[in-house]
Amino acid sequence: VCCRVSPLQKAQVTSLVKKGARKITLSIGDGANDVSMIQAAHVGVGISGLEGMQAVMASDFAIAQFRFLTDLLLVHGRWSYLRICKVVTYFFYKNLTFTLTQFWYTFQTGFSGQRFYDDWFQSLYNVIFTALPVIMVGLFDKDVSASLSKKYPELYKEGIRNTFFKWRVVATLAFFALYQSLIVYNFVIASSSISVDSSGKMFGIWDVSTMAFNCIVVTVNLRLLMMCDTITRWHHISVGGSILAWFVFILLYSGVYTPRGIYSVFYVLISTIYFYVILLLVPVVALFGDFLFQGVQRLFFPYDYQIVQEMHRHEPDGSSAGLLEIGNQLTPDEARSFAVAQLPGEKSKHTGFAFDSPGYESFFASQAGVLAPQKPWDVARRASMRSRAKTPRKN
Amino acid sequence: MMNSNAPSSSSGAAASTDSSAPRRNSKRPKYSRFTQQELPACKPILTPRWVISAFMLVSIVFIPIGVASLFASRDVVEIVNRYETDCIPQPSRSDKVKYIQSSEDKTCNRTLRVPKHMKQPIYVYYQLDNFYQNHRRYVKSRSDEQLKNSNSESDTSSCKPEGTIANGSSIVPCGLIAWSLFNDTYSFSRNNQQLTVNKKGISWKSDREHKFGKDVYPKNFQNGAIRGGANLTTSIALSEQEDLIVWMRTAALPTFRKLYGKIEVDLQENEIIEVTLQNNYNTYSFNGKKKLVLSTTTWLGGKNDFLGIAYLTVGGLCFFLAMAFTIVYLVKPRRLGDPSYLSWNRNPGGH
Repeated sequence: VCCRVSPLQKAQVTSLVKKGARKITLSIGDGANDVSMIQAAHVGVGISGLEGMQAVMASDFAIAQFRFLTDLLLVHGRWSYLRICKVVTYFFYKNLTFTLTQFWYTFQTGFSGQRFYDDWFQSLYNVIFTALPVIMVGLFDKDVSASLSKKYPELYKEGIRNTFFKWRVVATLAFFALYQSLIVYNFVIASSSISVDSSGKMFGIWDVSTMAFNCIVVTVNLRLLMMCDTITRWHHISVGGSILAWFVFILLYSGVYTPRGIYSVFYVLISTIYFYVILLLVPVVALFGDFLFQGVQRLFFPYDYQIVQEMHRHEPDGSSAGLLEIGNQLTPDEARSFAVAQLPGEKSKHTGFAFDSPGYESFFASQAGVLAPQKPWDVARRASMRSRAKTPRKN
Repeated sequence: MMNSNAPSSSSGAAASTDSSAPRRNSKRPKYSRFTQQELPACKPILTPRWVISAFMLVSIVFIPIGVASLFASRDVVEIVNRYETDCIPQPSRSDKVKYIQSSEDKTCNRTLRVPKHMKQPIYVYYQLDNFYQNHRRYVKSRSDEQLKNSNSESDTSSCKPEGTIANGSSIVPCGLIAWSLFNDTYSFSRNNQQLTVNKKGISWKSDREHKFGKDVYPKNFQNGAIRGGANLTTSIALSEQEDLIVWMRTAALPTFRKLYGKIEVDLQENEIIEVTLQNNYNTYSFNGKKKLVLSTTTWLGGKNDFLGIAYLTVGGLCFFLAMAFTIVYLVKPRRLGDPSYLSWNRNPGGH
């Protein structure tokens, strides 16, 4: 605990913890003298208001009241960590799956470098067919609701322990990407090596690769839904929309004549029963591994947030309170101390306690009709006020 | 000191708005469920009940499909006859390449026995092994504009070295794919009676009608010093040269089949089919194999157990896992939402 420190010393204490103890530091302050401390820490939070905007301008996050810090850390900070982990790991996963299928194909082309997919498929894969759903996850995903995040602050430890981006997690995802790419590639190749239609005609390279790409897009988008803890209607729209965008694209691309192999490939495909049989089989088998893994993980090795989810699974989403006036969400303790803070406080000799009002609160409270239980030191102080002005306070 | 931080800002946003002294003049942004992240959402929890139901559903759907696919595949009758080594007369077997490039008579007679009753149409394929139609240089070596349009005859830039002949005149169709057109021929007879092989309609309709022009005729084809494969009749337009169309739909794998024709009569069990084939095509330079295939088809195509086996395996596996999960769930259940599993309750005071 430091007191009577200059701004430079505040910054030095922060740097000491940051470098010496090698911890992630957060500093919060509201005045111009806190600016150096805010800038020295990893995360600087400024409180806007009474002492001006200097702290806010120098900070990474600005809040209006000190107690919003709980929300910032426990709710939004935690969600932010969760979302970033999901987005980053998903990006790696979907590109790995896609690229590995190409990789398996190189073994069958005499290592000549013939691409498995058409150029436009590759270019648009990350732009149109798989881009939007992951943005939705990054914006909206919540493992537990805001009120539960504050009720179980221990959940914050997940971020500290880096639970969702450990090497083990990334390696598991990479393994399943490998498995999925093998499934998609081999199932499509093995099933189209002979005629797949009653007309006896054979598929060419572009038919096979379009079928594989189709399966990849569907699989990767469905995998995203498996990764979500919260599914809003935007998730449905974006996942469905991405898959639909793929179908619209390929219907147009193979429908309009271009002097490329891809012309009319998709129409040939959808006229066979094989297409639907494979479209049912491949995504299910590909996602089977992930599904099993998630089921086993939740049953035997649950994360903390999963237990919390289950404990409160029957409660409706509490945040539908709409516009919240501050008074509505205060606990009785908070309401009382807020009311007390409004009281005419005396100009106490004991300045420097930034966050609590000193002394006579219970006395003034009773004068103003606010119910406040008597605190022991109040009584002791009032009794000893005249004789011993310099008695150190117990707080 | 009057606390002038009037409670005006909303609670949800991290970087919330300024609070201003008069309470009415709030800078609170317009509330919307989207920006406050309060959209109605479903929060799926993968309880064991869901896992078991999902697995059961998959097995219930997949096992019948697998059985149907397997039956379809079993119904297919297929005769495969490998002939590239046997069709070289014994004395020439030491230097097959020399034999195939010579102008000797390459007629070869093969005998096929029909194992089961084959209903028409019976499809005749030639199968090549170790032939990389999916090689990058090979796949590139064609000109789709030239194939479709008689005006684009000179569009042979991607076709080198089979683009133009010595005097600069274009080759139609250009490129290595066309140049290497397969040229073995087969004729079938049963009890000394010829079986007609219908070579019409063996290519995909979209190719015939849109990719190969009705007014494009072969020109300067196979004119060079090295002959790569079949010749093309210059009087027949490309859209009717179905062997070429089938060949130019490049295969995905180094082992592939292509449709040669259809036999439109039934073949009875144990019949002997005599095949007279012309062993023209040179696969000996690269140790390729040549096979003749006769096959019937069903709604799912030719003889491929893969789909049926895959569906059955996955269905069976899901069923087994559903049972396993049920047993584990009954034997060692974890009550949903059991707080004793929280890490801070399991290791109190730890971390």
